[in-house]
Amino acid sequence: MAKAIKKSGKVEEPDLLPAMGLFTILIPMLLSMTSFSKLAIVEVNLPERSMMQMDDQTPPPPDEQALNLSLAITDEYLVIGARGGFQPNVYFKEYWVFRCKSDGQLIKYAADDVKKAISSGSAPKCKDGSEMDKEKYIYDIESIELDMIEKTSEEDAGRLMWGIYTSQSEGQPDSVLVDGNNNFLALVGEGEGGANPPAALKKPGAGVGVATLAQNSARKLKPEDAAKLVVYPLSAYDEISKQLIQIHTAFIDLEDVDNIIIVANDNVQFDKIIQLMDRAKSAGFVKVNLAKLGG
Amino acid sequence: MARKTRKYSEDVPFSLTSMMDMMTIILVFLIKNLDAEGQLITQAENLVLPISTSKVQAKEVSLSVVVDAGHVVVDNQKIVTTPDVMAQEDLLIAKVDSVLKLRRETEREHALKAGLPADEAGNIIIQIDKNIPYDVMYKVMATCGFSGYTNIAFAVNMKNGGEE
Repeated sequence: MAKAIKKSGKVEEPDLLPAMGLFTILIPMLLSMTSFSKLAIVEVNLPERSMMQMDDQTPPPPDEQALNLSLAITDEYLVIGARGGFQPNVYFKEYWVFRCKSDGQLIKYAADDVKKAISSGSAPKCKDGSEMDKEKYIYDIESIELDMIEKTSEEDAGRLMWGIYTSQSEGQPDSVLVDGNNNFLALVGEGEGGANPPAALKKPGAGVGVATLAQNSARKLKPEDAAKLVVYPLSAYDEISKQLIQIHTAFIDLEDVDNIIIVANDNVQFDKIIQLMDRAKSAGFVKVNLAKLGG
Repeated sequence: MARKTRKYSEDVPFSLTSMMDMMTIILVFLIKNLDAEGQLITQAENLVLPISTSKVQAKEVSLSVVVDAGHVVVDNQKIVTTPDVMAQEDLLIAKVDSVLKLRRETEREHALKAGLPADEAGNIIIQIDKNIPYDVMYKVMATCGFSGYTNIAFAVNMKNGGEE
């Protein structure tokens, strides 16, 4: 009897070799079918041939019932125009966020400062003190940020606006928070040029009702989400997004309500055009045309 | 010495359990990233595509034009340098236009042979480095339009790798 108990207590290991063989076949096969960075497309509309005007033809009279929405971007500001009028300029300061190869950390510099440093023979510095490659630093730009500036006049240098953002990782902003009246939870920064976050701008706590610019996003903050909120410079793209959503909702009955023309300067980077196209499409302007400023 | 030899010649059971754990983790990770539909666009070298919230996938294989800091490339063939495009006044890039027109003509002939409508607008996907100035992008886009490729799409990287 004692011998029988001893036998049943002995654990026999299953033969794992066939499973290992299966895994060894499956893994290379899946590896060949896996994509780690997914590519998508952004479609753009060209004018139809019938809509093009020859030089000797008189252009048709403008349709006064149409929205004729355009979104212009220059080196200093973004502005929305419709029916011959313009919204107030949304001024911005351009920043470049780099991913350093030496330490893998993100660093953020004003684009003007980087250009000045490059022309004087130096390059942007990483957190570990190493300099980036002067020739190839442009390829290390992770994102181009347009931080919104509040100006009191054309001559005013302006001060940075700060908003409250949700964040997924590394303290990087994701979606800006708005209150019940669709106003940003934002204030003008303190110090020179508004470079410091305003002390009066408090992050909402758990249980407070907030929303983002996305539809049906109103919710009560969970404790884990409230802990992840960050105070970050307000993006000019977000201000434009808000204005576009309001315009699309207000003129929903018009025939050309889905059309928008993005107008840009010659030296505007392609990344900014894509960001504006993204904002326009998510606001409901699905037919995007492109044009040149003064062209 | 004899003792040492005996030690190495012993039949030690090899435990595969930890290896199985590792394989299972790798397998789950790969299945999560599996793209069963496949990619119709392959990202070109020497350029960084902009990140976009777009989730629209290319539906068919299209002619690809690549614009990086050095060259404008049509179908893996360097046609003209990007600084030359930047410097020219004209909207039309003549060298690119002639290559695209030839390609469009070939596509039309193939469509006719296959009994498909040949007068439909051509599809083209443009891959542009995110730091290329708008002037270059506009000239390339206009040239594609002149050559009959009016269904234009820009290739972008999906935000967060396409995850919500």
